[in-house]
Amino acid sequence: MSKIIACYKWVADEADIKINPDLTVDLKKAKGKISDYDRNAIEAAVQAAGSLGGKAVSLTFGNASAKQSLKDALSRGPEEGYWINAEEAATADGSITAKALAAAINKIGDYSLIICAEGASDTYARQTAPRIGAALNLPVITSVVQMTFNGNSLTAVRKLEDSTETVQTELPAVVAILPEANEPTIPGLKAVMAAGKKPVTEYTAADLGIDFTPKNQVTAVKGYVMNRKNIIFNEGSTADQVKALAAALRKECVL
Amino acid sequence: MAGVYIYSDRMDLAAELVGFVKENQNSAQVLCFTQAEADQLTSIGADKVCYLQGDSPLVENYGQAIAEYLKQANAELFVVGATARGRDLAARVAGYLDCAMVSDASSLSLESGKLRAERMMYGGAVVQSEEITGLCVVTVAAGKYQPVTGSASVETVQVTADNRVKLLETAPIVKEGVDLRQACNVVCVGLGLEKEEDLKIARDLAAAIDAELGCTRGVAEERHWLPVEQYIGISGAIIKPQLYISMGVSGQVQHVFGVRDAKVIVAIDSNEKAPIFRSADFGIVGDMYEIVPLLTQAIKG
Ligand SMILES: Cc1cc2nc3c(=O)[nH]c(=O)nc-3n(C[C@H](O)[C@H](O)[C@H](O)COP(=O)(O)OP(=O)(O)OC[C@H]3O[C@@H](n4cnc5c(N)ncnc54)[C@H](O)[C@@H]3O)c2cc1C
Ligand SMILES: Nc1ncnc2c1ncn2[C@@H]1O[C@H](COP(=O)(O)O)[C@@H](O)[C@H]1O
Repeated sequence: MSKIIACYKWVADEADIKINPDLTVDLKKAKGKISDYDRNAIEAAVQAAGSLGGKAVSLTFGNASAKQSLKDALSRGPEEGYWINAEEAATADGSITAKALAAAINKIGDYSLIICAEGASDTYARQTAPRIGAALNLPVITSVVQMTFNGNSLTAVRKLEDSTETVQTELPAVVAILPEANEPTIPGLKAVMAAGKKPVTEYTAADLGIDFTPKNQVTAVKGYVMNRKNIIFNEGSTADQVKALAAALRKECVL
Repeated sequence: MAGVYIYSDRMDLAAELVGFVKENQNSAQVLCFTQAEADQLTSIGADKVCYLQGDSPLVENYGQAIAEYLKQANAELFVVGATARGRDLAARVAGYLDCAMVSDASSLSLESGKLRAERMMYGGAVVQSEEITGLCVVTVAAGKYQPVTGSASVETVQVTADNRVKLLETAPIVKEGVDLRQACNVVCVGLGLEKEEDLKIARDLAAAIDAELGCTRGVAEERHWLPVEQYIGISGAIIKPQLYISMGVSGQVQHVFGVRDAKVIVAIDSNEKAPIFRSADFGIVGDMYEIVPLLTQAIKG
Protein backbone atom coordinates (compact mmCIF):
# COMPACT_ATOMS: atom_id res chain seq x y z
CA MET A 1 0.00 0.00 0.00
CA SER A 2 1.33 3.39 -1.00
CA LYS A 3 2.61 5.48 1.93
CA ILE A 4 1.95 9.01 3.05
CA ILE A 5 4.97 10.09 5.01
CA ALA A 6 4.68 12.70 7.76
CA CYS A 7 8.04 14.22 8.70
CA TYR A 8 8.31 15.43 12.26
CA LYS A 9 11.17 16.68 14.37
CA TRP A 10 11.80 15.99 18.06
CA VAL A 11 12.91 19.33 19.47
CA ALA A 12 13.75 20.91 22.82
CA ASP A 13 10.80 22.85 24.20
CA GLU A 14 11.73 26.52 23.86
CA ALA A 15 9.67 27.34 26.96
CA ASP A 16 12.20 25.41 29.09
CA ILE A 17 15.33 27.05 27.72
CA LYS A 18 17.37 28.77 30.41
CA ILE A 19 19.49 31.76 29.51
CA ASN A 20 22.35 32.27 31.95
CA PRO A 21 23.43 35.78 33.00
CA ASP A 22 26.42 35.53 30.63
CA LEU A 23 23.93 34.74 27.82
CA THR A 24 25.05 31.15 27.47
CA VAL A 25 22.16 28.84 26.66
CA ASP A 26 21.21 25.97 28.94
CA LEU A 27 19.16 23.28 27.23
CA LYS A 28 19.73 20.63 29.89
CA LYS A 29 16.37 21.08 31.57
CA ALA A 30 14.45 21.43 28.34
CA LYS A 31 11.96 18.64 27.73
CA GLY A 32 11.60 17.21 24.28
CA LYS A 33 8.45 17.57 22.20
CA ILE A 34 7.22 16.89 18.72
CA SER A 35 7.69 20.28 17.08
CA ASP A 36 4.36 22.11 17.44
CA TYR A 37 3.35 22.36 13.82
CA ASP A 38 4.58 18.85 13.03
CA ARG A 39 1.53 17.59 14.90
CA ASN A 40 -0.44 19.22 12.11
CA ALA A 41 1.75 17.45 9.55
CA ILE A 42 1.02 14.10 11.20
CA GLU A 43 -2.70 14.89 11.32
CA ALA A 44 -2.63 15.89 7.64
CA ALA A 45 -1.00 12.56 6.73
CA VAL A 46 -3.63 10.61 8.65
CA GLN A 47 -6.43 12.59 7.00
CA ALA A 48 -4.84 12.24 3.56
CA ALA A 49 -4.55 8.48 4.03
CA GLY A 50 -8.28 8.49 4.71
CA SER A 51 -9.26 10.34 1.56
CA LEU A 52 -6.47 9.32 -0.84
CA GLY A 53 -6.12 5.76 0.40
CA GLY A 54 -2.81 4.36 1.53
CA LYS A 55 -1.01 4.21 4.78
CA ALA A 56 0.12 7.12 6.94
CA VAL A 57 3.61 6.65 8.37
CA SER A 58 5.84 8.93 10.41
CA LEU A 59 9.51 9.72 9.82
CA THR A 60 11.98 11.50 12.04
CA PHE A 61 15.69 12.19 11.85
CA GLY A 62 17.01 12.54 15.37
CA ASN A 63 19.59 11.29 17.81
CA ALA A 64 19.01 8.78 20.62
CA SER A 65 16.73 11.20 22.50
CA ALA A 66 14.23 11.02 19.63
CA LYS A 67 13.37 7.45 20.67
CA GLN A 68 10.83 8.94 23.08
CA SER A 69 9.03 10.55 20.18
CA LEU A 70 8.13 7.33 18.39
CA LYS A 71 5.20 6.28 20.55
CA ASP A 72 4.00 9.87 20.81
CA ALA A 73 3.97 10.21 17.02
CA LEU A 74 2.31 6.84 16.46
CA SER A 75 -0.39 7.60 19.03
CA ARG A 76 -1.46 10.40 16.69
CA GLY A 77 -2.53 7.94 14.04
CA PRO A 78 0.25 6.80 11.68
CA GLU A 79 0.43 3.05 11.23
CA GLU A 80 4.21 2.72 11.15
CA GLY A 81 7.14 4.74 12.38
CA TYR A 82 10.55 5.32 10.78
CA TRP A 83 13.46 6.70 12.75
CA ILE A 84 16.84 7.73 11.43
CA ASN A 85 18.76 7.24 14.65
CA ALA A 86 21.93 9.27 14.14
CA GLU A 87 23.99 11.43 16.48
CA GLU A 88 24.70 13.55 13.38
CA ALA A 89 21.16 14.93 13.64
CA ALA A 90 22.31 17.17 16.49
CA THR A 91 24.64 19.13 14.19
CA ALA A 92 22.66 18.79 10.98
CA ASP A 93 21.93 21.87 8.88
CA GLY A 94 19.14 22.24 6.31
CA SER A 95 21.10 20.49 3.58
CA ILE A 96 21.90 17.41 5.68
CA THR A 97 18.43 17.19 7.19
CA ALA A 98 16.79 17.16 3.77
CA LYS A 99 19.26 14.69 2.33
CA ALA A 100 18.93 12.36 5.30
CA LEU A 101 15.14 12.46 5.07
CA ALA A 102 15.26 12.02 1.28
CA ALA A 103 17.58 9.01 1.60
CA ALA A 104 15.26 7.44 4.17
CA ILE A 105 12.22 8.17 2.00
CA ASN A 106 13.94 6.32 -0.85
CA LYS A 107 14.47 3.36 1.47
CA ILE A 108 10.87 3.43 2.68
CA GLY A 109 9.83 3.39 -0.99
CA ASP A 110 6.36 3.25 -2.52
CA TYR A 111 5.15 6.64 -1.31
CA SER A 112 2.54 8.96 -2.74
CA LEU A 113 2.95 12.03 -0.56
CA ILE A 114 5.51 13.52 1.82
CA ILE A 115 4.17 16.02 4.33
CA CYS A 116 6.25 18.49 6.32
CA ALA A 117 5.06 21.33 8.49
CA GLU A 118 5.57 24.97 7.66
CA GLY A 119 8.62 25.15 9.92
CA ALA A 120 10.19 23.45 12.91
CA SER A 121 9.86 25.28 16.22
CA ASP A 122 13.63 25.29 16.83
CA THR A 123 14.95 26.34 13.41
CA TYR A 124 11.80 27.79 11.86
CA ALA A 125 13.86 27.69 8.68
CA ARG A 126 10.98 26.69 6.44
CA GLN A 127 13.36 25.03 4.01
CA THR A 128 13.08 21.29 4.53
CA ALA A 129 10.10 20.52 2.28
CA PRO A 130 11.42 22.34 -0.82
CA ARG A 131 14.85 20.82 -0.21
CA ILE A 132 13.42 17.28 0.03
CA GLY A 133 11.60 18.04 -3.22
CA ALA A 134 14.88 19.03 -4.85
CA ALA A 135 16.74 16.02 -3.45
CA LEU A 136 14.11 13.62 -4.81
CA ASN A 137 13.27 15.82 -7.79
CA LEU A 138 9.58 15.81 -6.88
CA PRO A 139 6.99 18.57 -7.27
CA VAL A 140 6.63 20.71 -4.14
CA ILE A 141 3.74 22.76 -2.78
CA THR A 142 4.30 24.93 0.29
CA SER A 143 2.01 27.08 2.47
CA VAL A 144 -0.80 24.56 2.04
CA VAL A 145 -4.04 25.02 3.99
CA GLN A 146 -6.19 22.48 2.16
CA MET A 147 -5.69 19.33 0.11
CA THR A 148 -8.14 17.39 -2.02
CA PHE A 149 -7.35 14.25 -3.96
CA ASN A 150 -8.75 13.03 -7.20
CA GLY A 151 -7.23 9.74 -8.30
CA ASN A 152 -3.54 10.43 -8.50
CA SER A 153 -3.92 14.17 -8.58
CA LEU A 154 -3.59 16.59 -5.66
CA THR A 155 -5.32 19.95 -5.63
CA ALA A 156 -4.02 22.22 -2.90
CA VAL A 157 -4.98 25.64 -1.64
CA ARG A 158 -1.99 27.76 -0.63
CA LYS A 159 -2.11 30.78 1.57
CA LEU A 160 0.50 33.43 0.82
CA GLU A 161 0.81 36.93 2.26
CA ASP A 162 -1.56 38.60 -0.13
CA SER A 163 -3.20 35.92 -2.19
CA THR A 164 -4.55 32.43 -2.04
CA GLU A 165 -3.67 30.06 -4.84
CA THR A 166 -5.18 26.83 -5.99
CA VAL A 167 -2.59 24.57 -7.57
CA GLN A 168 -2.58 21.05 -8.85
CA THR A 169 0.02 18.34 -9.29
CA GLU A 170 0.33 14.62 -9.87
CA LEU A 171 1.55 12.46 -7.01
CA PRO A 172 4.07 11.69 -5.66
CA ALA A 173 4.75 15.15 -4.31
CA VAL A 174 6.08 16.98 -1.28
CA VAL A 175 3.93 19.46 0.63
CA ALA A 176 4.52 21.83 3.53
CA ILE A 177 1.34 22.58 5.40
CA LEU A 178 0.44 25.57 7.52
CA PRO A 179 -0.84 24.90 11.05
CA GLU A 180 -4.19 26.36 9.99
CA ALA A 181 -4.72 23.31 7.75
CA ASN A 182 -6.18 21.19 10.52
CA GLU A 183 -6.70 20.72 14.22
CA PRO A 184 -4.54 17.84 15.48
CA THR A 185 -6.46 15.29 17.52
CA ILE A 186 -5.27 14.76 21.06
CA PRO A 187 -4.56 11.04 21.38
CA GLY A 188 -6.79 9.14 23.78
CA LEU A 189 -5.68 6.34 26.08
CA LYS A 190 -6.58 3.67 23.52
CA ALA A 191 -4.48 5.36 20.84
CA VAL A 192 -1.56 5.64 23.26
CA MET A 193 -1.81 1.93 24.13
CA ALA A 194 -2.06 0.92 20.47
CA ALA A 195 0.97 3.05 19.56
CA GLY A 196 3.30 0.78 21.50
CA LYS A 197 2.38 -2.14 19.25
CA LYS A 198 2.94 -0.37 15.94
CA PRO A 199 6.04 -1.34 13.96
CA VAL A 200 9.07 0.96 13.96
CA THR A 201 11.92 0.74 11.46
CA GLU A 202 15.24 2.17 12.50
CA TYR A 203 17.96 3.39 10.13
CA THR A 204 21.48 4.34 11.11
CA ALA A 205 23.60 7.12 9.64
CA ALA A 206 25.62 4.51 7.75
CA ASP A 207 22.46 3.09 6.15
CA LEU A 208 21.81 6.35 4.34
CA GLY A 209 25.11 6.77 2.50
CA ILE A 210 25.26 10.54 2.69
CA ASP A 211 27.94 12.99 3.83
CA PHE A 212 27.01 14.44 7.21
CA THR A 213 29.47 17.37 7.21
CA PRO A 214 27.40 20.51 7.79
CA LYS A 215 27.81 23.39 5.34
CA ASN A 216 26.63 25.92 7.92
CA GLN A 217 29.32 26.20 10.60
CA VAL A 218 27.78 27.35 13.86
CA THR A 219 30.28 29.74 15.46
CA ALA A 220 28.28 31.05 18.42
CA VAL A 221 25.00 30.45 20.23
CA LYS A 222 23.76 33.18 22.50
CA GLY A 223 20.59 33.69 24.50
CA TYR A 224 18.40 36.70 23.92
CA VAL A 225 17.22 38.59 26.98
CA MET A 226 14.93 41.55 27.14
CA ASN A 227 15.38 43.84 30.09
CA ARG A 228 12.03 45.03 31.36
CA LYS A 229 10.85 46.45 34.64
CA ASN A 230 8.74 43.40 35.60
CA ILE A 231 6.58 45.35 38.05
CA ILE A 232 3.39 43.56 39.11
CA PHE A 233 0.69 45.63 40.78
CA ASN A 234 -0.76 43.33 43.41
CA GLU A 235 -1.58 45.61 46.35
CA GLY A 236 -5.18 46.25 47.37
CA SER A 237 -8.29 45.65 45.31
CA THR A 238 -8.33 45.16 41.55
CA ALA A 239 -9.46 48.79 41.24
CA ASP A 240 -6.39 49.90 43.22
CA GLN A 241 -4.13 47.82 41.00
CA VAL A 242 -5.65 49.35 37.91
CA LYS A 243 -5.19 52.86 39.32
CA ALA A 244 -1.55 52.12 40.10
CA LEU A 245 -1.08 50.86 36.53
CA ALA A 246 -2.69 53.94 35.01
CA ALA A 247 -0.50 56.16 37.19
CA ALA A 248 2.62 54.28 36.12
CA LEU A 249 1.69 54.66 32.45
CA ARG A 250 1.15 58.40 32.92
CA LYS A 251 4.56 58.63 34.54
CA GLU A 252 6.08 56.86 31.53
CA CYS A 253 4.32 59.43 29.32
CA VAL A 254 2.68 56.73 27.22
CA LEU A 255 -0.90 57.72 27.96
CA MET B 1 29.21 37.29 -13.93
CA ALA B 2 30.30 36.50 -10.36
CA GLY B 3 28.87 38.51 -7.50
CA VAL B 4 25.63 38.54 -5.62
CA TYR B 5 22.28 37.59 -7.14
CA ILE B 6 19.01 38.86 -5.73
CA TYR B 7 15.37 37.96 -6.04
CA SER B 8 12.18 39.03 -4.37
CA ASP B 9 8.57 38.78 -5.46
CA ARG B 10 8.18 42.13 -3.66
CA MET B 11 9.80 44.87 -5.67
CA ASP B 12 10.40 47.11 -2.62
CA LEU B 13 12.19 44.26 -0.87
CA ALA B 14 14.31 43.54 -3.96
CA ALA B 15 15.37 47.19 -3.81
CA GLU B 16 16.35 46.88 -0.13
CA LEU B 17 18.41 43.79 -0.91
CA VAL B 18 20.26 45.64 -3.66
CA GLY B 19 20.91 48.28 -0.98
CA PHE B 20 22.54 45.62 1.21
CA VAL B 21 24.78 44.38 -1.59
CA LYS B 22 25.81 47.91 -2.54
CA GLU B 23 26.62 48.71 1.11
CA ASN B 24 29.26 46.05 0.76
CA GLN B 25 30.43 47.26 -2.66
CA ASN B 26 29.62 43.99 -4.35
CA SER B 27 28.11 43.63 -7.78
CA ALA B 28 24.37 43.06 -7.62
CA GLN B 29 22.39 41.18 -10.24
CA VAL B 30 18.68 41.17 -9.67
CA LEU B 31 16.49 38.42 -11.11
CA CYS B 32 12.89 38.76 -12.24
CA PHE B 33 10.33 36.82 -14.25
CA THR B 34 8.17 39.38 -16.06
CA GLN B 35 8.82 42.35 -18.33
CA ALA B 36 6.88 44.58 -15.95
CA GLU B 37 9.16 43.62 -13.06
CA ALA B 38 12.22 44.12 -15.24
CA ASP B 39 11.07 47.64 -16.06
CA GLN B 40 10.60 48.48 -12.39
CA LEU B 41 13.90 47.03 -11.32
CA THR B 42 16.15 48.98 -13.70
CA SER B 43 16.24 52.00 -11.37
CA ILE B 44 17.12 50.38 -8.01
CA GLY B 45 20.88 50.53 -8.32
CA ALA B 46 21.61 46.99 -9.48
CA ASP B 47 24.45 46.31 -11.89
CA LYS B 48 22.20 44.20 -14.05
CA VAL B 49 18.60 43.08 -14.24
CA CYS B 50 18.29 39.47 -15.41
CA TYR B 51 14.88 38.81 -16.87
CA LEU B 52 14.43 35.05 -16.79
CA GLN B 53 11.83 34.32 -19.40
CA GLY B 54 9.82 31.11 -19.24
CA ASP B 55 6.24 29.90 -19.36
CA SER B 56 5.22 29.44 -15.71
CA PRO B 57 3.13 31.87 -13.66
CA LEU B 58 4.66 30.35 -10.49
CA VAL B 59 8.20 31.54 -9.77
CA GLU B 60 8.73 28.52 -7.50
CA ASN B 61 8.73 26.44 -10.67
CA TYR B 62 12.05 28.03 -11.67
CA GLY B 63 13.99 26.59 -8.71
CA GLN B 64 16.08 24.23 -10.77
CA ALA B 65 16.48 26.72 -13.60
CA ILE B 66 17.81 29.36 -11.21
CA ALA B 67 20.16 26.84 -9.62
CA GLU B 68 21.66 26.11 -13.03
CA TYR B 69 21.81 29.79 -13.92
CA LEU B 70 23.62 30.68 -10.68
CA LYS B 71 26.09 27.86 -11.12
CA GLN B 72 26.89 28.95 -14.65
CA ALA B 73 27.21 32.57 -13.56
CA ASN B 74 29.63 31.57 -10.80
CA ALA B 75 27.48 33.38 -8.25
CA GLU B 76 28.88 33.92 -4.75
CA LEU B 77 25.61 34.46 -2.96
CA PHE B 78 21.88 34.37 -3.71
CA VAL B 79 19.87 36.73 -1.51
CA VAL B 80 16.11 36.27 -1.56
CA GLY B 81 13.37 38.33 0.05
CA ALA B 82 11.85 36.37 2.94
CA THR B 83 8.23 36.09 1.81
CA ALA B 84 6.33 32.80 1.61
CA ARG B 85 7.16 32.49 -2.09
CA GLY B 86 10.71 33.72 -1.61
CA ARG B 87 11.52 31.22 1.13
CA ASP B 88 10.12 28.37 -0.95
CA LEU B 89 12.04 29.34 -4.08
CA ALA B 90 15.26 29.97 -2.12
CA ALA B 91 15.14 26.54 -0.46
CA ARG B 92 14.53 24.81 -3.79
CA VAL B 93 17.51 26.60 -5.32
CA ALA B 94 19.65 25.64 -2.30
CA GLY B 95 18.36 22.08 -2.65
CA TYR B 96 19.18 21.80 -6.34
CA LEU B 97 22.61 23.37 -5.73
CA ASP B 98 23.00 21.29 -2.57
CA CYS B 99 24.49 24.34 -0.91
CA ALA B 100 24.14 26.06 2.45
CA MET B 101 21.17 28.25 3.23
CA VAL B 102 20.50 30.77 5.99
CA SER B 103 16.79 31.35 6.49
CA ASP B 104 15.65 34.76 7.67
CA ALA B 105 19.08 36.12 8.51
CA SER B 106 18.94 38.89 11.09
CA SER B 107 22.43 40.11 10.20
CA LEU B 108 24.75 39.41 7.32
CA SER B 109 28.25 40.20 6.14
CA LEU B 110 30.19 38.95 3.16
CA GLU B 111 33.96 39.26 3.28
CA SER B 112 36.47 37.61 0.99
CA GLY B 113 34.16 34.79 0.09
CA LYS B 114 33.10 34.06 3.66
CA LEU B 115 29.55 34.76 4.74
CA ARG B 116 28.82 35.49 8.37
CA ALA B 117 25.19 35.46 9.38
CA GLU B 118 23.07 35.54 12.48
CA ARG B 119 19.61 34.10 12.83
CA MET B 120 17.04 33.46 15.51
CA MET B 121 16.43 29.98 16.89
CA TYR B 122 13.72 28.70 19.23
CA GLY B 123 11.24 31.39 18.26
CA GLY B 124 13.69 34.17 19.15
CA ALA B 125 15.05 32.85 22.46
CA VAL B 126 18.45 32.16 20.96
CA VAL B 127 20.68 33.93 18.41
CA GLN B 128 22.87 31.63 16.34
CA SER B 129 25.93 32.85 14.45
CA GLU B 130 26.96 30.91 11.38
CA GLU B 131 29.82 30.98 8.93
CA ILE B 132 29.62 29.68 5.41
CA THR B 133 32.28 29.33 2.74
CA GLY B 134 31.23 28.85 -0.83
CA LEU B 135 27.98 29.53 -2.59
CA CYS B 136 25.11 30.15 -0.21
CA VAL B 137 21.44 31.07 -0.34
CA VAL B 138 20.08 33.54 2.21
CA THR B 139 16.60 34.89 2.87
CA VAL B 140 16.18 38.33 4.41
CA ALA B 141 12.99 39.97 5.66
CA ALA B 142 11.88 43.49 4.74
CA GLY B 143 12.96 46.55 6.66
CA LYS B 144 16.62 45.74 7.24
CA TYR B 145 18.41 47.66 4.49
CA GLN B 146 18.10 51.01 2.76
CA PRO B 147 17.32 50.99 -0.95
CA VAL B 148 19.56 52.92 -3.32
CA THR B 149 19.05 54.21 -6.87
CA GLY B 150 20.95 53.84 -10.12
CA SER B 151 20.17 52.49 -13.53
CA ALA B 152 20.83 49.06 -14.95
CA SER B 153 20.35 47.33 -18.25
CA VAL B 154 18.13 44.31 -18.70
CA GLU B 155 19.44 41.02 -19.95
CA THR B 156 16.83 38.52 -21.08
CA VAL B 157 17.59 34.84 -20.63
CA GLN B 158 15.37 31.93 -21.67
CA VAL B 159 14.75 29.47 -18.85
CA THR B 160 12.79 26.25 -18.54
CA ALA B 161 10.18 25.95 -15.84
CA ASP B 162 9.32 22.77 -13.99
CA ASN B 163 5.62 22.78 -14.77
CA ARG B 164 4.62 19.79 -12.69
CA VAL B 165 2.75 22.12 -10.34
CA LYS B 166 0.03 23.99 -12.22
CA LEU B 167 -1.67 27.16 -11.11
CA LEU B 168 -5.45 26.76 -11.40
CA GLU B 169 -6.66 29.87 -9.68
CA THR B 170 -5.41 32.82 -7.73
CA ALA B 171 -7.43 35.18 -5.54
CA PRO B 172 -6.10 38.26 -3.82
CA ILE B 173 -6.53 38.43 -0.07
CA VAL B 174 -8.32 41.66 0.62
CA LYS B 175 -6.45 43.44 3.40
CA GLU B 176 -8.98 44.42 5.99
CA GLY B 177 -6.55 45.04 8.79
CA VAL B 178 -4.43 48.00 9.74
CA ASP B 179 -0.68 48.32 9.45
CA LEU B 180 0.35 47.62 13.03
CA ARG B 181 3.96 48.46 12.25
CA GLN B 182 3.02 52.13 12.11
CA ALA B 183 0.83 52.06 15.23
CA CYS B 184 1.81 54.22 18.19
CA ASN B 185 -0.17 52.12 20.69
CA VAL B 186 -1.33 48.51 20.40
CA VAL B 187 -3.85 46.56 22.45
CA CYS B 188 -3.32 42.83 21.94
CA VAL B 189 -5.76 40.02 22.62
CA GLY B 190 -4.86 36.37 23.02
CA LEU B 191 -6.68 33.09 23.25
CA GLY B 192 -7.70 34.01 26.80
CA LEU B 193 -10.59 35.82 25.13
CA GLU B 194 -13.61 33.55 25.33
CA LYS B 195 -15.88 34.80 22.58
CA GLU B 196 -15.57 36.96 19.52
CA GLU B 197 -18.09 39.47 20.94
CA ASP B 198 -15.74 40.00 23.87
CA LEU B 199 -13.37 41.80 21.53
CA LYS B 200 -15.45 44.76 22.58
CA ILE B 201 -13.58 45.17 25.86
CA ALA B 202 -10.33 45.34 23.92
CA ARG B 203 -11.80 47.72 21.35
CA ASP B 204 -13.05 50.02 24.12
CA LEU B 205 -9.62 50.17 25.70
CA ALA B 206 -8.03 50.69 22.28
CA ALA B 207 -10.40 53.59 21.60
CA ALA B 208 -9.56 55.17 24.96
CA ILE B 209 -5.82 55.19 24.28
CA ASP B 210 -6.00 55.65 20.52
CA ALA B 211 -4.51 52.22 19.88
CA GLU B 212 -4.80 49.67 17.11
CA LEU B 213 -5.94 46.16 17.90
CA GLY B 214 -3.48 43.29 17.54
CA CYS B 215 -3.68 39.61 18.48
CA THR B 216 -1.80 36.34 18.73
CA ARG B 217 -1.56 33.91 15.84
CA GLY B 218 -4.35 31.64 17.05
CA VAL B 219 -6.87 34.48 17.35
CA ALA B 220 -6.36 35.33 13.68
CA GLU B 221 -5.44 32.03 12.05
CA GLU B 222 -7.53 29.53 14.00
CA ARG B 223 -10.46 31.54 15.30
CA HIS B 224 -10.52 34.10 12.47
CA TRP B 225 -11.66 36.82 14.87
CA LEU B 226 -9.24 39.41 13.49
CA PRO B 227 -7.58 39.77 10.07
CA VAL B 228 -4.31 37.85 9.69
CA GLU B 229 -2.30 41.03 9.16
CA GLN B 230 -3.14 41.84 12.75
CA TYR B 231 -1.32 39.03 14.45
CA ILE B 232 1.98 39.83 16.04
CA GLY B 233 5.09 37.69 16.24
CA ILE B 234 7.87 35.90 14.44
CA SER B 235 5.52 34.79 11.68
CA GLY B 236 3.31 37.87 11.84
CA ALA B 237 3.80 41.60 12.34
CA ILE B 238 6.93 42.93 14.05
CA ILE B 239 5.87 46.13 15.78
CA LYS B 240 7.48 48.96 17.74
CA PRO B 241 4.76 50.92 19.51
CA GLN B 242 5.18 53.27 22.46
CA LEU B 243 2.70 51.22 24.44
CA TYR B 244 1.66 47.59 24.06
CA ILE B 245 -1.02 46.18 26.37
CA SER B 246 -1.75 42.47 26.20
CA MET B 247 -4.71 40.64 27.65
CA GLY B 248 -5.11 36.87 27.77
CA VAL B 249 -1.77 36.44 26.00
CA SER B 250 0.53 33.87 27.58
CA GLY B 251 3.58 35.48 26.02
CA GLN B 252 5.35 32.60 24.33
CA VAL B 253 8.62 33.59 22.77
CA GLN B 254 7.29 33.49 19.18
CA HIS B 255 4.73 36.13 20.00
CA VAL B 256 6.94 38.32 22.20
CA PHE B 257 9.51 38.37 19.38
CA GLY B 258 7.16 40.77 17.61
CA VAL B 259 7.00 43.34 20.44
CA ARG B 260 10.60 43.47 21.57
CA ASP B 261 11.00 47.03 20.43
CA ALA B 262 7.93 48.35 22.24
CA LYS B 263 8.77 51.16 24.66
CA VAL B 264 6.44 49.95 27.41
CA ILE B 265 4.90 46.48 27.68
CA VAL B 266 1.87 45.88 29.90
CA ALA B 267 0.46 42.40 30.60
CA ILE B 268 -2.91 41.39 31.97
CA ASP B 269 -3.26 37.66 32.46
CA SER B 270 -4.94 35.40 35.00
CA ASN B 271 -1.94 33.08 35.26
CA GLU B 272 0.78 34.62 37.39
CA LYS B 273 3.27 32.15 35.90
CA ALA B 274 2.51 33.19 32.31
CA PRO B 275 5.81 34.06 30.59
CA ILE B 276 4.35 37.39 29.43
CA PHE B 277 5.02 38.83 32.90
CA ARG B 278 8.75 38.20 32.46
CA SER B 279 8.60 40.24 29.25
CA ALA B 280 6.51 43.06 30.69
CA ASP B 281 7.27 46.36 32.36
CA PHE B 282 3.98 46.41 34.21
CA GLY B 283 1.47 43.69 34.91
CA ILE B 284 -1.70 42.83 36.73
CA VAL B 285 -2.52 39.22 37.51
CA GLY B 286 -6.23 38.61 37.22
CA ASP B 287 -9.31 38.30 35.06
CA MET B 288 -9.13 40.52 32.00
CA TYR B 289 -12.92 40.73 31.95
CA GLU B 290 -12.72 42.60 35.22
CA ILE B 291 -9.45 44.50 34.77
CA VAL B 292 -9.72 45.78 31.22
CA PRO B 293 -13.01 47.70 31.63
CA LEU B 294 -11.65 49.21 34.86
CA LEU B 295 -8.50 50.27 33.07
CA THR B 296 -10.51 51.85 30.26
CA GLN B 297 -12.45 53.79 32.89
CA ALA B 298 -9.33 54.83 34.78
CA ILE B 299 -7.76 56.14 31.59
CA LYS B 300 -10.85 58.01 30.45
CA GLY B 301 -10.74 59.54 33.96
C1 LIG C 1 7.18 28.12 14.64
C2 LIG C 1 6.15 28.87 15.42
C3 LIG C 1 5.83 30.18 15.06
C4 LIG C 1 4.89 30.89 15.80
N1 LIG C 1 4.63 32.19 15.46
C5 LIG C 1 3.75 32.91 16.21
C6 LIG C 1 3.51 34.29 15.96
O1 LIG C 1 4.06 34.88 15.04
N2 LIG C 1 2.63 34.95 16.74
C7 LIG C 1 1.99 34.34 17.80
O2 LIG C 1 1.21 35.02 18.48
N3 LIG C 1 2.19 33.04 18.06
C8 LIG C 1 3.05 32.32 17.30
N4 LIG C 1 3.26 30.99 17.59
C9 LIG C 1 2.42 30.36 18.62
C10 LIG C 1 2.96 30.61 20.02
O3 LIG C 1 3.94 29.65 20.33
C11 LIG C 1 1.85 30.50 21.06
O4 LIG C 1 1.24 29.26 20.94
C12 LIG C 1 0.79 31.58 20.92
O5 LIG C 1 1.37 32.85 20.83
C13 LIG C 1 -0.11 31.52 22.12
O6 LIG C 1 -1.20 32.40 21.94
P1 LIG C 1 -2.00 32.97 23.16
O7 LIG C 1 -1.06 33.61 24.13
O8 LIG C 1 -3.07 33.81 22.59
O9 LIG C 1 -2.70 31.70 23.78
P2 LIG C 1 -2.37 30.82 25.09
O10 LIG C 1 -0.95 30.42 25.13
O11 LIG C 1 -3.41 29.79 25.08
O12 LIG C 1 -2.59 31.83 26.28
C14 LIG C 1 -3.83 32.29 26.70
C15 LIG C 1 -3.60 33.09 27.98
O13 LIG C 1 -4.83 33.65 28.40
C16 LIG C 1 -4.89 33.61 29.81
N5 LIG C 1 -6.28 33.74 30.20
C17 LIG C 1 -7.31 32.87 30.04
N6 LIG C 1 -8.46 33.40 30.49
C18 LIG C 1 -8.15 34.63 30.96
C19 LIG C 1 -8.91 35.68 31.58
N7 LIG C 1 -10.22 35.56 31.78
N8 LIG C 1 -8.26 36.80 31.95
C20 LIG C 1 -6.92 36.95 31.76
N9 LIG C 1 -6.17 36.01 31.17
C21 LIG C 1 -6.77 34.85 30.78
C22 LIG C 1 -4.22 32.29 30.18
O14 LIG C 1 -3.73 32.35 31.51
C23 LIG C 1 -3.08 32.24 29.14
O15 LIG C 1 -1.88 32.82 29.65
C24 LIG C 1 4.21 30.26 16.88
C25 LIG C 1 4.52 28.95 17.21
C26 LIG C 1 5.48 28.25 16.51
C27 LIG C 1 5.80 26.85 16.92
N1 LIG D 1 15.09 16.22 11.76
C1 LIG D 1 13.89 16.17 11.16
N2 LIG D 1 13.20 14.99 11.12
C2 LIG D 1 11.99 14.93 10.49
N3 LIG D 1 11.39 15.98 9.92
C3 LIG D 1 12.03 17.17 9.94
C4 LIG D 1 13.31 17.32 10.55
N4 LIG D 1 13.68 18.62 10.40
C5 LIG D 1 12.69 19.23 9.73
N5 LIG D 1 11.68 18.37 9.46
C6 LIG D 1 10.40 18.66 8.77
O1 LIG D 1 10.55 19.85 8.01
C7 LIG D 1 9.74 20.89 8.55
C8 LIG D 1 10.41 22.23 8.39
O2 LIG D 1 11.62 22.29 9.12
P1 LIG D 1 12.60 23.54 8.96
O3 LIG D 1 12.91 23.66 7.52
O4 LIG D 1 13.80 23.19 9.79
O5 LIG D 1 11.86 24.72 9.50
C9 LIG D 1 9.47 20.46 9.97
O6 LIG D 1 8.31 21.08 10.48
C10 LIG D 1 9.31 18.95 9.79
O7 LIG D 1 8.06 18.64 9.21
